[in-house]
Amino acid sequence: MDILTISIIIMAILQIGAAIYAVIQKDLLYAVIATSVISLILSIFFYVLQAPDVALTEAAIGVALTTIVFVITIRNTERHEDKRHVKIGNKIIKK
Amino acid sequence: MNQILEILGLILIIIGSIFLFLGALGIYRMPDVYNRLQAGTKATTLGGMSLIIGVGLIQPDWFWKSLILVIFIALSNPISSHALARSAYKSKIKPFFKGKEEDLDAYKEVVERNENN
Amino acid sequence: MKKVIVLILLAVVAYYLVDVFSQIKFGENRFQGENVRDFYLDKSKNDLHVSNSVTSIVVNFRGFDTLGEVTVLFLAATALGSVLYRRKAHGEAVLFNASTIVRSGAHLLFAPILLLGAYVFIHGHLSPGGGFQGGTIIATGFLLMLLAYHDYKVSHGVLTWVESLAGLTFASLGLTGLILGKTFLENFLPIGTINDLFSGGIIPIIYIAVGFKVGAELTGVLYTMLNEKEYKKS
Repeated sequence: MDILTISIIIMAILQIGAAIYAVIQKDLLYAVIATSVISLILSIFFYVLQAPDVALTEAAIGVALTTIVFVITIRNTERHEDKRHVKIGNKIIKK
Repeated sequence: MNQILEILGLILIIIGSIFLFLGALGIYRMPDVYNRLQAGTKATTLGGMSLIIGVGLIQPDWFWKSLILVIFIALSNPISSHALARSAYKSKIKPFFKGKEEDLDAYKEVVERNENN
Repeated sequence: MKKVIVLILLAVVAYYLVDVFSQIKFGENRFQGENVRDFYLDKSKNDLHVSNSVTSIVVNFRGFDTLGEVTVLFLAATALGSVLYRRKAHGEAVLFNASTIVRSGAHLLFAPILLLGAYVFIHGHLSPGGGFQGGTIIATGFLLMLLAYHDYKVSHGVLTWVESLAGLTFASLGLTGLILGKTFLENFLPIGTINDLFSGGIIPIIYIAVGFKVGAELTGVLYTMLNEKEYKKS
């Protein structure tokens, strides 16, 4: 195995781990950061597979714009998925 | 001439990767936000810059492009780390304390001043 | 009377739809003996003189699909604006101003980011990139300014004008091909020499228009979302 194959395998494992983390995480801000990590690794994959156009799109849209749109949405709504935490004003209070 | 440039570039790339590794290790090891920012932004700024210059030395066609990238990193990375640290301070995150007894009063004073602001 | 006219119109449309679709056999191989990949690669290099064949497929051979994509993006941006638009904001969002370092840094970085975006979509037919990528990069440049200055104003009128003019350029270039007796979005300009900035006929013009359109739309989306004030929960 050459170094490229090993690094591709490591990146794929990291990507799957980030995806699982994004699904099971109750704090939505952390989940959004995990999805942006997925997009970043995906854009590296596209570059390695010789599709630089798609890599550029993925890096610009997936990493930058989607993340910021989700962060703005979380700022305007709820941060925690858990029903036991309630946001009152600016404080997060346990029920 | 080309060989000297290549060796110089390889040395710079090794230095850069060592600094990037130290930055990653610091993010894992450090106890709170401010220490992690210290490790994770300063080390990666230097690491990324020297790595890109090394690539530019190995491939002389790309040297000026890599110089532009280095200028961009030198402008953007400190600003973003400053913004992160300032937002952590404004969100009233307490710094980690592990020191002597006589410094405890000064620490509490700083934390209270931050919380009252 | 109205219902009868509607029914007649529907019947006519249905007749022609059935007529068209009955001639296409399901699962039929319409490229007998000809390889689509080789056809595209040959034609983009020899007939269009475009070195980045992805661009020639996206803008020329599949140009109609791209027009649909741009329309979808426009509809999404308009729908978001109409959902989030609120004339009276109740209360202010709790925010503190960005520091002097961030503000002057944003000023320094704003122009180079816009320049990079423009470079990406102007050189879309020569190097990787194109209208969508360049437009997104321009939108991130505006995002930086919006984050640094809370009172940074982006004029909605200018955004609408840029969007409309870019869309009009795209559609009218396609229609000009029809008027000159060719197909929709077929090239009618001189194609120049390969690997030159002025090559590829209408492809660079269309990609520049797409870049302006995407940049204006995404900037509008970000501006609308960031300026949505927190309202009182009843």
